[in-house]
Amino acid sequence: MTPHWEDEETEEDGAGTMVRPYTITRGRTAPERDDFTLITVLTTAQDPRDGHGAAVHPGRLQPEHRMILERCRRPAAVAEVSADLNLPVSVTKILLADLVAQGLLLARAPLSVARASGGADMGMLAALRDGLGRL
Amino acid sequence: MTISQAAPAAVKILVAGGFGVGKTTLVGAVSEVAPLRTEEFLTKASIGVDDLAGVGQKDTTTVALDFGRITVSPELVVYLFGTPGQERFWFMWNDLVNGALGGVVIADTRRLETSFASIDFFESRDIPFVVAINCFHGHNSRTPDEIRAALDLDPHVPLLVGDVRERSFGRDVLLALVDHLMSLPVAAG
Repeated sequence: MTPHWEDEETEEDGAGTMVRPYTITRGRTAPERDDFTLITVLTTAQDPRDGHGAAVHPGRLQPEHRMILERCRRPAAVAEVSADLNLPVSVTKILLADLVAQGLLLARAPLSVARASGGADMGMLAALRDGLGRL
Repeated sequence: MTISQAAPAAVKILVAGGFGVGKTTLVGAVSEVAPLRTEEFLTKASIGVDDLAGVGQKDTTTVALDFGRITVSPELVVYLFGTPGQERFWFMWNDLVNGALGGVVIADTRRLETSFASIDFFESRDIPFVVAINCFHGHNSRTPDEIRAALDLDPHVPLLVGDVRERSFGRDVLLALVDHLMSLPVAAG
């Protein structure tokens, strides 16, 4: 039996070339949402429920989606997921957005520290100072 | 049962400086994990995403970014990002700059000029920063005042001298940054 991919590609097309970067996103180059940052923290939902309280059944997941859900059992930032899966940040964000949209993954935005809006919270800075002092 | 399901809040600090000045070394000295590396495509930000289909994509290149983490408490995690060494790549790192708590500029007294761009970078974006002078092998022939003058630093910007390989120096640099942040006037609102 002839493998199906031989029907579609000539050998020279496949030989020695890298996988195209957006292959695992099925060609998508932008996430469904654009508010992920490098330090948005993701956590895998335990017992995910939809808006009506019914258990969420994951849609079609790729291996990378499952790896993310496994990795984020312990909270991890976008950059960490990207590094651990060895995927570029932009590809990682697309996959993360798929999972957040399905309710399988929870996202927490970074703390706001913009100086224009009052800067970092003094309580947070004090906690930071205490924590760094223990290094 | 709630197994601390709540995610910690995250903040980030940028570590900048010329190529080879010790950015990743400092990150590694204070990080609780060996520095991680992530990559981003150069093409995505440099040309519009919508335009990608029509552009020859044969030579996609990536910019690497090294980072580490410090878990301050179950509620707070600090991520330390080394900025890409080549300044010409910085324009694409809007995500890196946005929301940064502050920065560390590492400088080497034997080639201070390689850190000028980093200082300009933080000043122009109104990101508070401290300067860490990295003394490899204790080699430092200039006084802090001389260095401060050479870098044209504002008087209120903290400047520390030490070895970035040492955890205690990295800690002191970060503490100086936090103290600096706490000393800044709070913007109205």
